[in-house]
Amino acid sequence: METILHVFFNLEVMKQALPIVAAAFPVSLIFGFGGFLLAIPGGLTLAFMKMARYRLLRWPATVYVDVVRGTPLALQILILYFGLPFLPIYNVIAAPLSGIDVLGINATVYLRGLLILSLNSSAYLCEIFRAGIQSIPRGQMEAARSLGLSLPRSMAFVILPQTVRRILPTMMSEFILLFKDTALLASVAVMEMTLASKIIAGRVFNQSSYVVAACFYLLLTIPLGRLVSYMENRLAESEGDAA
Amino acid sequence: MSTRNTTSYAEFAQPVVRIKGLKKAFGDNVVLRDVNLEVDRGEVVCILGPSGSGKSTILRCINLLETPTSGEVWFEDTQVNAKGTDINKMREHIGMVFQQFNLFPHLTARGNVELALRQVQKKSKDEAKDIACEMLERVGLADRSEYYPSQLSGGQQQRVAIARALALAPHVMLFDEATSALDPELVRDVLDVMRNLAEGGMTMIVVTHEMSFAREAADRVIFMDEGVIVEEGTPTQIFDNPQHERTKDFLGHLA
Repeated sequence: METILHVFFNLEVMKQALPIVAAAFPVSLIFGFGGFLLAIPGGLTLAFMKMARYRLLRWPATVYVDVVRGTPLALQILILYFGLPFLPIYNVIAAPLSGIDVLGINATVYLRGLLILSLNSSAYLCEIFRAGIQSIPRGQMEAARSLGLSLPRSMAFVILPQTVRRILPTMMSEFILLFKDTALLASVAVMEMTLASKIIAGRVFNQSSYVVAACFYLLLTIPLGRLVSYMENRLAESEGDAA
Repeated sequence: MSTRNTTSYAEFAQPVVRIKGLKKAFGDNVVLRDVNLEVDRGEVVCILGPSGSGKSTILRCINLLETPTSGEVWFEDTQVNAKGTDINKMREHIGMVFQQFNLFPHLTARGNVELALRQVQKKSKDEAKDIACEMLERVGLADRSEYYPSQLSGGQQQRVAIARALALAPHVMLFDEATSALDPELVRDVLDVMRNLAEGGMTMIVVTHEMSFAREAADRVIFMDEGVIVEEGTPTQIFDNPQHERTKDFLGHLA
């Protein structure tokens, strides 16, 4: 018992780790929220491509989603984090950012990390969006079109508002997954919470700093998880009403 | 003509809907074989027939929810199924009411009626609201304007759907089994609204199983079976003196 307390809950180490992990918390938040927000338009685009009438739009989206979802994010990070700087397009965007630091980290690191996370998450969101849109009864689109609304307007005013309500819990679950996955950026030396706690752990040969990091992750994931189940229940109730 | 001096002779004489040699097949399944139909301004046409006879498909070809396999569908002076037709512009003038109501569940009754007024006809907020309230009043639901569809009975939902279509001042209204999904005690309110519309001179094409409505409100009754119009005539002709075996059979089964 004492060993467990000493190895995982060493108060001295935790005290030492707290400010350092806390300082890295906003970094993890930026990667989590930023990556997710960027993934939303990407996921929507992919979803519409997958539902398109033309094969030329459909198959690139299908291949993209299959490849991204079928390979580990840890691997995608290794490939792209060091691979992106070889792409001319990336450098055009990155060049003006190279002199800027945020929270002690260079802006190009954020750029690369956010790009990778959003590219990954957009593939998952694509499937969430597509399933959500296709779960809206056909009659809704027909009613909208029969009133003279164009296809984009029918989507924007009739289909998507209903879809969002339905998929919001699933989207938030996807956000929780992405937020936890920001820890994988530790593998390419991005100073987010997991790496920050690892540095202390290595210095003092003790795991307690990781527990501190775990608490910070839980700070976000537990309330959000509760919110998801609350929203799912409410949704189940309101859909029951409508039927 | 003198009472209608704003309407040119051509416009007055022209049918609102004209269907020529309409065929519709879903894969190998031929739903409409060779349908010819003209509906004049102010006319109420009821289409009867067993399920699967293609009644609803005719309506859905008129506003191009289904694309005809061949043949021509005309709305006033425009061919609906021709390349380059602005179908959204057409649909604005072709009101449709569905069996399943298809109200937008995320909008209130008023929101349902306002949507196309705002997004298609580009009316101002106030103008759309005025029209929406007027239409809801017309279908007897002025006091339900802020209710969501899930808070309304089936009959009320269908009346909101009618108000939604009427708000755009359509030149023709298509009713696709508008009362078939309703509990019997709710059917009457919807039929009353439809009867009022008919009396008010609205051009209507009504697919229905409500024989009493067809008998009272229709100018012309069409009996369909297996994708063709078997027989048509005034309600008296069709109901009291059907000529065709299949019509007699169908009406006999109902009695």
